[in-house]
Amino acid sequence: MIAAKGVHKWFGTLHVLKGVDLTVEKGDVLVIVGPSGSGKSTLLRCLNLLVIPDEGDILIDGVKVNDPKVRPEWVRQQVGMVFQSFNLFTHLTALENVVIGLRKVKRMPRADAERIALRELERVGLADKAEAYPAQLSGGQQQRVAIARALALNPKAVLFDEPTSALDPESIREVLGVMMKLADEGMTMVVVTHEMGFAKTVADEVLFMADGQILERGTPGELFAHPRTDRARAFVSQVLG
Amino acid sequence: MILIRGAPSAGRAGRRRDATIVRSTGNLTATLVFIIVLLVVLDRLGAVSIPFMVQWWPFLVTPAATALGATTIAFVVGFVIAVPLGLVRAYGPDVVRRKAPASVVVAPLYGLTTGYVEAIRGTPAFVQILLISAAATRAFTGLPNVELWAGVLALTVNTIGYQAEVFRAGFQSVGQGQVDAAKSIGMRPTQIFVYITLPQSLRIILLPLTNEWIGLFKASALLWYVAVRELMWAGNYLGYTQVHPIEAFFLVAFFYLLIIIPLSRGVSYLERKKRIPGLGVPEPTRPRRAGPRPAASPAAPGP
Repeated sequence: MIAAKGVHKWFGTLHVLKGVDLTVEKGDVLVIVGPSGSGKSTLLRCLNLLVIPDEGDILIDGVKVNDPKVRPEWVRQQVGMVFQSFNLFTHLTALENVVIGLRKVKRMPRADAERIALRELERVGLADKAEAYPAQLSGGQQQRVAIARALALNPKAVLFDEPTSALDPESIREVLGVMMKLADEGMTMVVVTHEMGFAKTVADEVLFMADGQILERGTPGELFAHPRTDRARAFVSQVLG
Repeated sequence: MILIRGAPSAGRAGRRRDATIVRSTGNLTATLVFIIVLLVVLDRLGAVSIPFMVQWWPFLVTPAATALGATTIAFVVGFVIAVPLGLVRAYGPDVVRRKAPASVVVAPLYGLTTGYVEAIRGTPAFVQILLISAAATRAFTGLPNVELWAGVLALTVNTIGYQAEVFRAGFQSVGQGQVDAAKSIGMRPTQIFVYITLPQSLRIILLPLTNEWIGLFKASALLWYVAVRELMWAGNYLGYTQVHPIEAFFLVAFFYLLIIIPLSRGVSYLERKKRIPGLGVPEPTRPRRAGPRPAASPAAPGP
C-alpha cells in the first residue's frame, strides 16, 4: 500500500537517508526502531511528503506521489500523522481540532463534521472532553485527540512519530491502548517508537535503522531474539535491558 | 455547542467579570478625580479658568473627530498592507533558503520590505509627515482637503512599517509543530495561514497592535504642522486667539484621554474574551474580600 524505493535525503551536507526501501501492506503494522539521529522521523515524514525526498520514490497504491503532478495535500489526506509533541491546534477545542480537517479539507457541512468528530473522540475515549482546549488536557488526552484528528479524515494509513516519547507512564498506557485497538481493527500503521513491548505484540514487521539506512528487518520475534548485526545487537540489548 | 456548560461555573465567571468592571471603573474614576481636583486647585489659585474650559470644549469636537478619523483610516489601510509585508518578513528567508521557485519574487520583495521597515523605524515620524505632506500636496494640488489626505497618507506610510514588524513577530511565534499538524491533515498553505497561523498570532499581537494604534493617534498631533485641522491645531488656535493656552491644552489632553482610555478598556475586554482557556499565565484574580475565612487557614499575604 505504502512503499518507499531508494529514498535519499540531504539536509545541507548531512546525508540523512541513504537509499531506504520499505513496503507496508494493507492492514499491517510496521514498527521502525533505532538510535536517535538514525533518520527514522525523516523517513516517516517522507511518507506523507512533509519532507520531500531528494532521490527515490514514494508510492501509494503503486502510484508515485512525490511527483510535481501530485498535490502533496492530496497525499496527506490519504496518510494521517500523529506527532511526538501532539501539535493540537492550541486555539481550538478538542472537537474543533477534529472538525477542522473535515470542514476545510473535505468540505463537509458543519453538522456532519461534528457528528463524525464526536464519533472519533468517542473511539479514543474522550467524548466528554469535546469542549476542552488542548491546554486543559493531559498529555495522554492530547495525544488521543491527535489520533482522533488523524482518523477523522478516514486515511488509508496512519504514521506515528514517537507518539509516547513525551508522555508519563500512565499516559503511555492510554495511548498504546488506543493504538493497539486501531491495529486490531485493521488500520495500516507505520510507527516509530521506543516501546519495545508494543513492537513485540503488535508489529507485523520491525525495521532497525541506523545512520540513515535500514540495517535489519524481520518479524519482532526474529529481530529482537536474533539480531544479526552488531549495531542491532547493541541496540536491542540496550533497550530490552 | 454539543455539551452544556455547568451552571455553577457560569455563575463564577459572571461574578469575576463584575469584579473586573468594578476595578477598571475604579481606576478610571481615580484618574478623573485626580484631574478634577488638580483643575479646581489651579482654578482657586487663579492659574486656570474652569468656566473658560466649560464654555469652549465644543470647539474641539470636530477636530477630535478629524484626528480619530485620520488615525483610524491610516491604521486600517496600514493593517491590510502590513499583513502581507509581515508574511514576507517572517517567511521570506525560509523560501529563499529552500530555493523554492518563488524565490525569484520573494528575495527582492524581502529586501525591499526590510529596507522600508528600517527606513520608517529609523526616522522621526515628524520628518516623514513633513516630507510626505510636502510631496503629496504638490502632486495633488487643488484636490479638496488635500492637506488632510496627505496627512492620512503620511500616517499610513508610517504605521505600515511598525505594523509589518508586529505581524512578523506574531507569525513567527506560531510554532512549526502547528504548521506541520495542519499540513498533515491536508490543509493548503492559504488555509493554514487563515485558520491556524492568523488566529493564533492575532491573539498574541492584539496588545502591540493596540499600542501602535495609540501611538499613531498621538502622532496625529504632528499633522498640525501640515495644516490639518486636528486636535492639536484646535488647541493651539483656541489657546492663542482667546489667550488661554493652559486651559486649551488641558482640554486637548482631556480629549486624547477620552478617546484612548475607552479603547484600551475595550481591547482588555476583547483579550479576556478571546483568551484560550488553560494557556499561558492564569488571569490575575483578587482574593475575595467578602465571606468568612476558615479559622484554621493562615491569613493570605496581602498583594
